[in-house]
Amino acid sequence: MFSEDTILLFYEITDVIIAGLSTGSVYALMAVGMTLVYGVTKAFNFAYGDFFNMGGYLAWMIMFGLGLEFGGYPLVMILVLPILFIVGYALEKLLVAPLRKREDWENKVMMMTLGLALFLTSLYMVVFGVRMKSLPPILEGTLEVGQLVFAYQDIMIFVMSISSILALGWVLNNTRVGLAVRAVAQNPVGATIVGIPKEKIFATTFAISTVMVGFGGILLSQKWFINPNSGGIIMVKAWVVTALGGMGSIRGGLFAAFIIGMLEAFVGWFFGMSYSMIALFGLLLATLVFRPQGLMGKGE
Amino acid sequence: MLALKNVTKKFGELIAVNDLSFTVEQGQIFGIAGPNGAGKSTVYNLITGFYPYEGEIVFNGKNLSGMPPYKIARAGIARTFQIPQIFPSLTVDTSLNVGSRFGSGTGLDPAHVDKIIEFLELSEDRFTKTNKLNLMGKKKLMIGAALATKPGILMLDEPMAGSNAREIKALMDLILRINQEMGLTIIIIEHFMKVLTELTQELLIIESGSMICCDSPEKATRDPKVIESYIGDAYAENN
Repeated sequence: MFSEDTILLFYEITDVIIAGLSTGSVYALMAVGMTLVYGVTKAFNFAYGDFFNMGGYLAWMIMFGLGLEFGGYPLVMILVLPILFIVGYALEKLLVAPLRKREDWENKVMMMTLGLALFLTSLYMVVFGVRMKSLPPILEGTLEVGQLVFAYQDIMIFVMSISSILALGWVLNNTRVGLAVRAVAQNPVGATIVGIPKEKIFATTFAISTVMVGFGGILLSQKWFINPNSGGIIMVKAWVVTALGGMGSIRGGLFAAFIIGMLEAFVGWFFGMSYSMIALFGLLLATLVFRPQGLMGKGE
Repeated sequence: MLALKNVTKKFGELIAVNDLSFTVEQGQIFGIAGPNGAGKSTVYNLITGFYPYEGEIVFNGKNLSGMPPYKIARAGIARTFQIPQIFPSLTVDTSLNVGSRFGSGTGLDPAHVDKIIEFLELSEDRFTKTNKLNLMGKKKLMIGAALATKPGILMLDEPMAGSNAREIKALMDLILRINQEMGLTIIIIEHFMKVLTELTQELLIIESGSMICCDSPEKATRDPKVIESYIGDAYAENN
């Protein structure tokens, strides 16, 4: 019924879609983290991409630097995710919180996180060197469904990213800390006068977003290389996803993440990977010109 | 119950509150009035920990100096703002749960939340998002969120602002019921002197951050300094 070329094209497109879904799911994770921290603290974090690298480097260090490869990814998750939380919490308390008490604190936080990003990039270069590192697949092998072949790695990345987003959604909607985060995001003063420690919630939210992007780093460093200089581009991608979805809209961020993931995958497949960034920034420019509030943002 | 002792607050060169001392007794409705910029809301912000200050504020024997606002809320001091501070996309029910869960010190108390919703006649709007409420609804919600924290004292900041005569009457009735039926001590900042003279047992008048009178409403509104600096001869003669 179909020619061999048509069937091959179908398989190729399926591969591209799987790659887009897998990458898009991690972008969604990163975008949700960025939307959450911006929605609650109103602070823009330029070091966000460097926390992505932090996740990748810490995982690499545990597996290869400390020789704990036998523990695999379970050990990495047990050790790295709490470390990322502590680092995020401490950085917010030590660097962001003092600035929040000053005038024009939003710009001061942006400048400070820009400095933090440069500091972390330099730190990674000194500690891990300029040569790129990589992580092994979380699960080797492939799943064959008829003629279709899916890498377990892609499936695991997708499932773990989406599970994390769902888990965060559950925490926000069903727990005491989730209720506090939602209240502070909507009205920090109103939250304070009914007994919510907003400073702790700011720090907790910053820490959760650090865990989310760092977890994304662990997941995507299996497909990409860990590169000390890649924090900037990761941050920009997370920002593009957030801007396309609409600042402050978690649902918009989720849609946008998969749009960007698919765009990258299809443009990379059709024109070559070097064109995917052109497409990405083209989409960002078009969004800012024609729909500056993003897909699901509330506008001015 | 609540005592301010020689409290002073300076913003740079500006003295916003100057050596202010007064005491609010258990069960009272205590009024604070004064011209715009007199420092009334600053006094609230000092009591609720939003600004540091010189002097001492003591609530039920506990010194509040240096405590952050959320701890002061948990200690039993609840407040509202002139512009209702709501959680726009939470429902009325969830908003009150926030107050009950975090402010009361005893955790979420659904029975208490039910009682407040009934008391404030918010049952029909219980599962409405708060940004859909009208101004009166938002004011009642804010009072409800404050009550959900099971406070020892309720501080209302210009609750009548923006309300029509019928709403003012309803709010006055509500404030009286909170005081009498719940036995709650209330402090109220208000520009409507008639509201203060009808509701309060004691009235503090401040100007430029300094106390000019603290007495019963009857005496305060006849005090020559109050007439001169705030209410004027016409009000004193007609009331």
